[in-house]
Amino acid sequence: MTGRRLTAFIDALVSGRRPDSYRADPEDVEVLGAAIALRAARPGDAVPDDAFVAELYQSLGEENSTAVASNVRPLRMRRSRAALIGVAASIALVGATFGATEASNNGATTTSAIQAPHGKILRTASFETSQGQALGQIVVYGGSPGWVFMNVDLPTSNDSVKCELRMLDGSVVAAGTVDLRHGTGVLSKKIHVDTSRLQGATLYGRSGAVVASATFA
Amino acid sequence: MFPVPKATTRRSRPDSGDTDVARLRVVDADSYTDWESVYRDNVVRLYRLMYARVGNRPDAEDLTSEIFRTALGPLRLASSKGEVRSYLLATAQTVLASHWRRTLGVSVTSIDPESDLDALTENSGPEEVGDAPQRAGKVLAALPERYRRILELRFLEVCSIKEAAHAMEISVSNAKVLQHRALRMAAKVGLELEQ
Repeated sequence: MTGRRLTAFIDALVSGRRPDSYRADPEDVEVLGAAIALRAARPGDAVPDDAFVAELYQSLGEENSTAVASNVRPLRMRRSRAALIGVAASIALVGATFGATEASNNGATTTSAIQAPHGKILRTASFETSQGQALGQIVVYGGSPGWVFMNVDLPTSNDSVKCELRMLDGSVVAAGTVDLRHGTGVLSKKIHVDTSRLQGATLYGRSGAVVASATFA
Repeated sequence: MFPVPKATTRRSRPDSGDTDVARLRVVDADSYTDWESVYRDNVVRLYRLMYARVGNRPDAEDLTSEIFRTALGPLRLASSKGEVRSYLLATAQTVLASHWRRTLGVSVTSIDPESDLDALTENSGPEEVGDAPQRAGKVLAALPERYRRILELRFLEVCSIKEAAHAMEISVSNAKVLQHRALRMAAKVGLELEQ
């Protein structure tokens, strides 16, 4: 079944169509990567259509003109992910002050000013199961105070998962609990640890079983 | 949502309890003056980067849109172009990771905010197509003849699997197997070339 879907994915790439989603096996990754690299080498599509560039410009301009002054952006289906991205990306901008968005599962958002870090103190990692399936991401910011942001996608689950941060010396620090709603949850909170000494993070289910882990590069 | 900075002065966020303090901030020539200039200067480069990571136009367009929609909102100050590009690239990294998690459940390609920064710099002109063709050429050249031929037919000459099979005078099922093996070897060769 997966082989057929892999073939269909490659067929779509070859013909320039958007490939359908499927749950890929980890061993598909190298084949898919090679197919993408070869497809990207073909001249033509590597430059965007003028129409796309113009339409996106117009769309962003319209959003700009209708946006509220509070800078709280409209939340849509993927709001938790967008919020996490906003937070992480805001902090990543070195040497300037940006708004960062804290998000919670109920959709309420607030904005707060965070002084962007000077230097490389933003670290990211992906949560993966023991089978290599990606379940979310974690971002830590080593400022004063430090922050941790994470999103977790556990399809169909409405339970909660506990997150612990693993330090290089083997000690463990509780980061908090992510409440899942319709399989998705996010957590953002201050942490008081030396983020340069962080090795990774582990998600535990209610039973105490490891759900996924992440290792910082 | 996308505040347009003043030309040379700007009220910064207060970092103390004094909410009436207005601070002057010098905006040099290496800064963007508004979101439109951020967009115009980076949209082609960002699209090209995303296209190289997903290999198809529809996804590259959607991801490019998502990057700008995500990044421009929190962008409040006129920072240097380098800082803005780093910010865009950090956003692109997360957007791409989310794309793969959503579509395949595994990360197929990624963006490194440090090594990929060149893709957004002025040294990389908007019309350049990057080194993808050269890299692909090296990979193909290192493959056995039949592997190279099936991949050229499929990915460069845009043949269907049936057309490729016909051109190589093999069955369709054989062409599928050959393509799969050729892609595996191409991946291996690509990794060796990187090292």
